[in-house]
Amino acid sequence: MKLKLYLRSLLFTFLAAAISSVGFAQGKSVSGTVSGADDDLGIPGASVVVKGTTKGVITDVDGNFTIQSAGTSDVLVFSFVGYSEQEVIVGNQSVINVALATDAASLDEIIVTGYSVTNRKESTAAVSIVKAKDLQAVPSGNIEQQLAGRVAGVTVITNGQPGTNSTIRVRGFGAFGGNQPLIIVDGVPTNTSNFLSPDDIETTTVLKDAAAASIYGARAANGVIVYTTKKGRKGKRALEVSYNGMFGFTDPNVNGAPEMLTPQEQADYTHIAYENNAAANGTPVQYTHPQYGPNQQATLPDYLHANGVNGVRGSVDMAAIQAAYDANPDNTFLIKPNLAGTNWYDEITRMASINRHNLGFSGGTENSRYYVGLNIQDQNGIIVNNSFKRYNVRVNSETDLGKRFRFGENMQFTYAAIQGQQGGSNGQGSADDESQLLQAYRMPTVIPVYDEFGSFASTKAAGFNNPRSPVRSLTNDVQNDQGYAFSGFGNVYLEVDPIKNLTLRTSLGGGISNNYYYGYNYKYLGDSEPQASNSFNEGAGFNVQWVLTNTASYKVNFGQNKLKVLLGQEALNDGRGRNIGGSGINPFTMDLDYVNLTLVQSPVVNSSLYSGVNFSSYFGKADYNLKDKYFVTALLRRDGASRFGANNRFGVFPAFSAGWRVSDEEFMKDLSFITDLKIRGGWGIMGNSNNVNPANQYSLYAQSPGRSLYPIAGQASGANAGYYKSRIGNPNAKWETSETSNIGFDATFASGRLEAVLDVWRKDTRDLLYQVPLAAVLGPNASAPSVNVGKMRNQGIDIQIINRGNLTSKIKYNLTVNGSFLQNEIVELAPGIPFFNGGGYRGINPVRNQPEQAISSFFGYKMIGYFNSQGEVDAHPAQQGAAIGRFKYEDVNGDGEITPDDRTFIGSPVPKFTGGLNFGIEFGNWDVNSYFNTFLGNDIWNQSKWFTDFHGTFEGAGKGVRAKESWTPALGNNALAPIWESAANISTSGAENSWYVEDGSYLRMQNLSVGYSLDNRLASKLGLSKARIAVSGNNLFTLTGYSGLDPGVGGDVDTNFGIDVGNFPVTRSFNVVLNLGF
Amino acid sequence: MKKNNIKKGVLTVLAVTMLTFSCKDSFLEVLPTGSLGEAQLLSPSGLEGTLIGAYSMLNGKGFGRNAGPNNWMGDVLGGISNKGTDAGDYTAMNPIQRYEGDPTSGEFNAMWSSKFEGISRANAAIRLAKQSEQISEGTRTRIVAEARVLRGHFYFDLKRMFNSAPYFDETVVDADIPEIPNSPDILGSIEADFKFGMDNLSETSPDAGRVNKWAAAAYLGKAYVFDGKYAEAKAIFDQVIANGQTTNGKKYDLVPNFGQIFNAENDNHEEAVWAVQSSNNTGSVNNANWFDDLNYPYNTGMNGPGNCCGFNQPTFTLVNQFRTKDGLPLLDGSFNSGDNVVVNDYQVEASSAFTEDTGELDPRLDHTVGRRGIPYLDWQEHPGKAWIRDQTYAGPYSPKKFVYYKTQENTFTDGSSWTRGYATMNVPIIRFADVLLLAAEAEIQAGSMDNAMALINRVRTRAANSIINEYDGSGPAANYKITNYTSFDSKDDAMKALKFERLLELAQEGHRFSDLVRWGDAATFINGVYLPFDSQFLVTKLGGANFTTGKNEYVPIPQSQLDIQPALTQNPGY
Repeated sequence: MKLKLYLRSLLFTFLAAAISSVGFAQGKSVSGTVSGADDDLGIPGASVVVKGTTKGVITDVDGNFTIQSAGTSDVLVFSFVGYSEQEVIVGNQSVINVALATDAASLDEIIVTGYSVTNRKESTAAVSIVKAKDLQAVPSGNIEQQLAGRVAGVTVITNGQPGTNSTIRVRGFGAFGGNQPLIIVDGVPTNTSNFLSPDDIETTTVLKDAAAASIYGARAANGVIVYTTKKGRKGKRALEVSYNGMFGFTDPNVNGAPEMLTPQEQADYTHIAYENNAAANGTPVQYTHPQYGPNQQATLPDYLHANGVNGVRGSVDMAAIQAAYDANPDNTFLIKPNLAGTNWYDEITRMASINRHNLGFSGGTENSRYYVGLNIQDQNGIIVNNSFKRYNVRVNSETDLGKRFRFGENMQFTYAAIQGQQGGSNGQGSADDESQLLQAYRMPTVIPVYDEFGSFASTKAAGFNNPRSPVRSLTNDVQNDQGYAFSGFGNVYLEVDPIKNLTLRTSLGGGISNNYYYGYNYKYLGDSEPQASNSFNEGAGFNVQWVLTNTASYKVNFGQNKLKVLLGQEALNDGRGRNIGGSGINPFTMDLDYVNLTLVQSPVVNSSLYSGVNFSSYFGKADYNLKDKYFVTALLRRDGASRFGANNRFGVFPAFSAGWRVSDEEFMKDLSFITDLKIRGGWGIMGNSNNVNPANQYSLYAQSPGRSLYPIAGQASGANAGYYKSRIGNPNAKWETSETSNIGFDATFASGRLEAVLDVWRKDTRDLLYQVPLAAVLGPNASAPSVNVGKMRNQGIDIQIINRGNLTSKIKYNLTVNGSFLQNEIVELAPGIPFFNGGGYRGINPVRNQPEQAISSFFGYKMIGYFNSQGEVDAHPAQQGAAIGRFKYEDVNGDGEITPDDRTFIGSPVPKFTGGLNFGIEFGNWDVNSYFNTFLGNDIWNQSKWFTDFHGTFEGAGKGVRAKESWTPALGNNALAPIWESAANISTSGAENSWYVEDGSYLRMQNLSVGYSLDNRLASKLGLSKARIAVSGNNLFTLTGYSGLDPGVGGDVDTNFGIDVGNFPVTRSFNVVLNLGF
Repeated sequence: MKKNNIKKGVLTVLAVTMLTFSCKDSFLEVLPTGSLGEAQLLSPSGLEGTLIGAYSMLNGKGFGRNAGPNNWMGDVLGGISNKGTDAGDYTAMNPIQRYEGDPTSGEFNAMWSSKFEGISRANAAIRLAKQSEQISEGTRTRIVAEARVLRGHFYFDLKRMFNSAPYFDETVVDADIPEIPNSPDILGSIEADFKFGMDNLSETSPDAGRVNKWAAAAYLGKAYVFDGKYAEAKAIFDQVIANGQTTNGKKYDLVPNFGQIFNAENDNHEEAVWAVQSSNNTGSVNNANWFDDLNYPYNTGMNGPGNCCGFNQPTFTLVNQFRTKDGLPLLDGSFNSGDNVVVNDYQVEASSAFTEDTGELDPRLDHTVGRRGIPYLDWQEHPGKAWIRDQTYAGPYSPKKFVYYKTQENTFTDGSSWTRGYATMNVPIIRFADVLLLAAEAEIQAGSMDNAMALINRVRTRAANSIINEYDGSGPAANYKITNYTSFDSKDDAMKALKFERLLELAQEGHRFSDLVRWGDAATFINGVYLPFDSQFLVTKLGGANFTTGKNEYVPIPQSQLDIQPALTQNPGY
């Protein structure tokens, strides 16, 4: 027995020894702690992986780890989000403690350029990266707004509507239209980023010059913004769950709204206008306003309107009016003046709430990784009934199918709904629309919101012109409206590594979306121009786009030479689809459960279809790197597009760039304060074809109910089909070509405490496409073809400076300054086209595009003061409508009379400088971040003054306080507006002139946040790996000299922007932000 | 094995996709959607549709109110109408009604552009018809002839408002068209187009809206009158009056009651030599009288038409001209003085008492002008100030000729847009009364005053039969008194009577300003009669306004066209 026991023990020992000796031969157990270099606290959940294998563990709540079976020659890779990766050779160590540096813009920082991935060290191109957390800072519905001031060289003009599109321009305005950058999401091109949730984004890269962007060839000229979404990481790991939430509200800033005349002031100034009219015309004064009485001293009546009678003084026959109301409530009004004055801006705005929630699940196994994001954004606009909702699910995954194959997908499904948005191009065009905001200024303050019966009061009361109550229309006509879309977007891909270092990838991506809308407008007879009918409209559309991309990438190292080669092929359709919409009036009832298009009177239905543009492309790229010191990149893309005729269908777009890491040279080694210095230069050609209708090459005829039908048989109902020339074709149009050159450097000083990136660039665009307006003699209904007409030059300097460090051992700070100088000039237009104009606003045509001027420059008479006396009128060159107190224009051409030839360039909406400043401090568990952005040197055309600052424009409607500083002999040239009178001619409200032009420069404090993070230990006791709470204020103040509501004035057409008719302001908001990790 | 399959699969996919997209050129041929190529229009139905497209521009659709076939601007400049409404509404018209229109005004550009859209469509129809091998010679000739009359019409409109325009026909290629200079000398070409129509068109057609032989002839006569070729005009008019018939086969005659000329239910009547057709339920109000949607009394509620917006208000001077003495108009020009001035409710509240004018009046006044106390079609008596937006700005009157009846709402109106006021009565281009008066003018200038008087009296006889009665049948709504002329003492007297008759008969139909200009009367009438009287009341609108001789006879060539078409020359004075 004993022997037996002994033998067993021996065997066990032997076996154990054998096993353990086998174990020792292969590796050993290594343990240690992973902590943050910044705070020395353990990092829970950090990943420790044996390099080149799928073997790995994650750290526990204290940052401790133990990994078995590490060989002495193995390399352990320590990583954690937000920290720089670190590699340690195991050697003989059994305890390895690692302090990870925070992930400041490190040289290893990944740059995702769409088809390939590189890092800052090796990049020779001008690219900018936006941190994922920066995208989350401001509660906008569209992440593109977060690029404002974050990226040197990117201009962002946005307005205050939730979910709105913004004007995003990368390095200037290269063309007369279609200047929006190309957006790539997980490799799939699209034209909008508004479906993306900021919490799902992993990287954002802006490709600014040809050296980076030319790989996108014909669509790259306006820059490329590349987004990748979160993917999880491979390696056996626990599920990581994160929650990011934001709750807050936006303040409409009622005190910042333009001031309007009080009821009594409005009455007084109406009488002043009558006096001025009489003086100008040499006639006796007549005080004829239906409300303000016949005497010189204007008075307010007791009732503005009493069932058809206006300006009632004394009492009214209440019984009779009540009877009239009972008989006909729709058309019987009893309106008392609001003596205190109605603040219409206040009435149409509200404190607007925002809610954003994201749940992220990410994880991996040894051969797969995944990320699932659930997102809700529910945001109200400051305007009543304006809202944006987006619910989306993202599922990204990748799985190894054996050793050489990988299959993956990135998919997002989105429901987005927008209510009450104003302006074309998904809100982008709201600035120059006559929006409800403009209606709010146009309503006189004397009109109350409700009449004595509780109905909406409006301009049924005579003498106030034709504004419509914006409260009524925003309430009645918007509250039941809906517009929403379901969409899916993403790709599936397969990667294979047939031989070492060669990866073949095929990806099929695209998007599909279905939208639906319906709207109700309600009969209302209380406006001076009433809405006489109930009406209903609804419609739908779908869009499908796809892209197929095949690439092969190969990298090889021989000695100190590294070569990466990428070859690819791509085919895509940028979107085909159909739309249908109908409308009609006066259904039996407007009950929401009743109305549809079948039940309305005179239904009108229209539909359309479109095929999109097909692209077929081939591309290649080679990166060569010698000693990690000398870098050369060459790339070439050939694109074919169905947009152009057969003879100009293909374009070839090459680019070359080189970089030299000077700091690695021997002669630099002494300059120890220079940690890293790389000089870069690049040249390349990119294309743009956005600004061309897909049918541009064809001459076409069309049939249109509104344009070409005719009841030839004399029928009383219906009409015969007719055709008209709808398009004049140009088979010879070709790509716009941008030739760009860029010189810059990336420098890091003092071991990362100071970084500087500087780029000097020039982009010359030739063969600019534009729909040159044709002389009317050719038939104005035919769309003019886009022709290659001109050249544009954009040049500038982009600077980024980062300074970070410790103020004390406990207090860290970082300061980032971005700035870009921009100069834009139209160099040349085709012969016979000296210039072309932008659109008009109530007869005012503010914009002219002409060589030697910036795009969309303001053009008009130069106002040199007012006519202060009859003597000045007589002495001045003949000017139509000249009279005392009116605008005096400069005789620019000196011909002794003021004619249209005296109009000249009087401003430009293109900013000379845009920039941003980000300052953050961390002390202990607290962090404070602030963020500013600025526009300098741009002008705004304040068209809203046309409505509020002349008595004669919509005479009787609401007027602004500048009336009180309108011209008088005493004010002279210090007056803020011309003499208060009715006349409308080119010397008053009838011409474009420099009086409308204002400096649009501004500095906005876009974000200030104060956050508190729980200690990791405390958090882990609560079952959390991370917990941070922050409060933030957005748009806390804006410094500007601009007199309108907000200086952020965009527009959806580049040849016509910076015009403020009824721009939606960006106003203050306050939020609470919660970030949790589980 | 499994891996091998995957590998094969991948390679196959790659190969197939590469082949698919690299080898097919057709991938880059994407055809346009929802449109037609020119070749498709060479078929018989394509050609007919192209011609319909040209007809479609007769109502100026899509180019703004001054492109409408009622030639609103012609009546505003002619002292017939003012803009109406109030000072701040549609301010682009304010300088125009004060004879201060600037070349940069979009109103002139809209008018100009609409006419050239029509010309362009007419030329396309002619060019395609000449090219097509799929139609008979007869059809070809008809299409060409109809299109040429349309082209002549659009050029005639340009001639009467702008005076000067670049003339080109269908043979000029697009590239050369902008190079053609403008010239006032285009009536010859216009006459040739009308002559071709007269010589080649049939008398009738199943389609009442088509221009026929007699419409072309009448228009040719009109062009001759404008051209001062009175003898040629008389010869043509003699035929038209004797033998003319409408396209739907009605012998030309005057509609018995003046008011029925402008009733949609009576469209394509015997007086409609050529009219712009109008209809509803077409998918767009542009095929109804879209240009008139604001030309109704203001603030009527459901008790009146349109319920918006009070544009196109008749002037004081116009109304006073309907005053008669012994049944004849006040040819001595005394209509604006003393008791001749028609009593109106200017500055009188709708709720205050008002005594209507009791003097003698031409009954056409109350078919042309809405005024207080007079039945407003079948709606109600015009309530005066309650239906006027701002009397002190635009006077006390409302337009009436092209207003629909209460009983016609939604049957003869198009209710598919934002106002109720899309009427569908046809708008005359030429009506028989116009022909009779033009013939009378030709007679006076080139022939017999007796013939002229007979023609004028024919028009007046119908007017005398067009009394408006009170709703309760108690008798005429006003003291109507109209008689025929018995003699003209001189050619001058005859012309005076003729001119007055055109005003009374055709007011608010867009003819007045070009008549004044061609007679050389514009400055005398506007500065001497119209402005001095009306500006007493409408101070804001007209105070200090003045017609400049040698300039304001024609509107300016639009600056935006001059800017892009250097071949054009601006009219004198601008």
